[in-house]
Amino acid sequence: MMKRNSIYVAALVLVIQSVFVPISHGDANLIEQTCRQTPYHDLCVSSLKAHPLSASADVTGLALIMVDVVKAKATECANKINHLLKQRPGDQALSSCKSNYNGVLVADVPVAIEALTKGDPKFAEQGMDDTVIEAKSCEDYFSGRSPMTDLNNASQKLGAVAAAIVRLLL
Amino acid sequence: MMIFSLWQFCLLSLLLSYGVIELQASHHVYSNLQTTQLTSTHPQAKDPYRTGYHFQPRKNWINDPNGPLIYKGIYHLFYQYNPSSVVWGNIVWAHSTSTDLVNWIPHEAAIYPSILSDINGCWSGSVTILPGGKPAILYTGINPDKEQVQNLAFPKNLSDPFLREWVKVPQNPLMAPTQANQINASSFRDPTTAWLGPDKRWRLIIGSKRNQRGLAILYRSKDFMHWTKAKHPLYSTPKNGMWECPDFFPVSKTKLLGLDTSAIGPDVKHVLKVSLDNTRKEYYTIGTYNVSKDIYIPDDGSIESDSGLRYDYGKFYASKTFFDSAKNRRILWGWINESSSVSGDIKKGWSGLQAIPRTIVLDKSGKQLVQWPVVELEKLRTKEVKLPSTLLKGGSLHEVIGVTAAQADVDVAFEISDLKKAEVTDPSWTNAQLLCSKKGTSVKGALGPFGLLAFVSKDLKEKTAIFYRIFKSHNNNNKYVVLMCSDQSRSSLNPDNDMTTYGAFVNVDPLYEKLSLRSLIDHSIVESFGGKGKACITARVYPTLAVDGDTHLYAFNYGSESVKIAGSAWSMKTAKIN
Repeated sequence: MMKRNSIYVAALVLVIQSVFVPISHGDANLIEQTCRQTPYHDLCVSSLKAHPLSASADVTGLALIMVDVVKAKATECANKINHLLKQRPGDQALSSCKSNYNGVLVADVPVAIEALTKGDPKFAEQGMDDTVIEAKSCEDYFSGRSPMTDLNNASQKLGAVAAAIVRLLL
Repeated sequence: MMIFSLWQFCLLSLLLSYGVIELQASHHVYSNLQTTQLTSTHPQAKDPYRTGYHFQPRKNWINDPNGPLIYKGIYHLFYQYNPSSVVWGNIVWAHSTSTDLVNWIPHEAAIYPSILSDINGCWSGSVTILPGGKPAILYTGINPDKEQVQNLAFPKNLSDPFLREWVKVPQNPLMAPTQANQINASSFRDPTTAWLGPDKRWRLIIGSKRNQRGLAILYRSKDFMHWTKAKHPLYSTPKNGMWECPDFFPVSKTKLLGLDTSAIGPDVKHVLKVSLDNTRKEYYTIGTYNVSKDIYIPDDGSIESDSGLRYDYGKFYASKTFFDSAKNRRILWGWINESSSVSGDIKKGWSGLQAIPRTIVLDKSGKQLVQWPVVELEKLRTKEVKLPSTLLKGGSLHEVIGVTAAQADVDVAFEISDLKKAEVTDPSWTNAQLLCSKKGTSVKGALGPFGLLAFVSKDLKEKTAIFYRIFKSHNNNNKYVVLMCSDQSRSSLNPDNDMTTYGAFVNVDPLYEKLSLRSLIDHSIVESFGGKGKACITARVYPTLAVDGDTHLYAFNYGSESVKIAGSAWSMKTAKIN
């Protein structure tokens, strides 16, 4: 008896969920619409959806979330570089990469946040475009044998997505 | 001088066509001085990119020029500045003054966050000189709700010729987005210099947008304190996004002089310039200001979009003009941002330059504006190297020796005797920038590419090329199309920089006039003027080898037909700037 009841309850919940087209479905639309205008749609969608605030965000909000994702990845890169530098102190390529990601964290990300919240998004676009350049610059320093390839590639893609979202605000 | 016999010429041509002989073979040296060792005047490697005669503060980030004016014989420039960092943020109005537009003294920041209506930022704006000579600053402030509003400030002490301190009126903000006026609160900025109508009411415009329609919102006032929004914008255009830094001013149809911002009359046309947020490019149109209806109507064919006219076809944004009442000229300022990566900016500790101020007049055709660096700049010229009229044979390269090639002013003119050999344009060639990108210096032509090579390293690995190509129009065999390019693609071995090529079509007729080219070369910037200012292209470069004393300057002709060159090159003294 209990089992059947719980099945009925589950079915009822399912029906309610699909009948009530809640706000999150509408926002999933905005995420879809927005991500379709970026060069890496799937990455865009998964990054945004993972963030709890994306469901109710407008485009500026989505841009800010994406900037945050870029920041998280850049932090991961910076940490990896510091770790590698401990093993290879004085390594030129690693030191240069450190400057690249430092640029992202102390300059590009804060400027993007400021620009988006104060209403001059072009500086945010420039900042996010720069994160792509910094990631590529880091990768190029290794001339082929890079321990940072996956992270650098991920950073470039996320930066490109963030810049594309900001462009929608211009 | 080398004189070839016909036989030698044929052999040489044969060998050249088989690529046996390097095109660098002929090095004609232009110098009327003893060739002296070119030593660097700047300490090497410290900061090879800081300029010698362009306006910049000692360090940190700058962007838009603000409120340029002249008062009691002293020129003022304010500019968006970050006192704490090398990127945009914490923006204040930094302030410098000059008596000659070349050397500048810095002062304390004139406008910085201090009231509710600018607590989150003091953004761009303009100065209006009120009757009696009192300057008024109107600027965009960001309020606690992060909305864009307009504030007014007056000098604290009119007898201070440096106008160091400013007082904001208690009634601020004077203009703000409201429910009633439906103005977009994050797209309402950059008030212009106001102009006085015959009805004694002031007008100004503020950049805005509604959806994707760019707007110049019009406001009117009787007393400069109480402003009423007009029902219609001064002008607007669908689909080109936010209009930043609008500028609206009169130009004379008959005199090569500037006009006061309030001038109107039958001898006057008006110019509306907008900076497009979504492309970072500026466009201007020329048209008529209908005083009674308070609207602007651009002339036929004048458009502010990709196919429209620009002050500068390279790096040049957020520009602003002012009327120099001392010399009756209209002067243009523009912000030149970096083409380097942000980590590069952090390394060098600064970001952004102002262009050399330019006078601006209407071309005699009435269809475009013409610019030229202010004449005061010429006081920095020294050690002139004359380039006497010389034939540059096809495929030749000629070094200009005797100038500090990283800090120079070059003014030359090219002349083609036989235009018949010009290639014909293709109807698809509508975008000058794309055309220049596809036809770099390595693409040979009939008439061109010929021009200047700046920031050249000893081995020619790095070079910035500014050049012309001449084509015959496919529409009309007697008409010629002149293309001017600034090619940065080989400017540096460092790939982190933006090395985009720029291009412009120049409205000159090579049948009747020489092709003039002036380039202001200054460590990490080159401002080039084609057709005596009909087309301007500014570029930023960051060579790694061609730095300071290791920089070279060449004239070149990689086309097949010869071209004559004549002119001068000067070393430029370092100005005292900030």
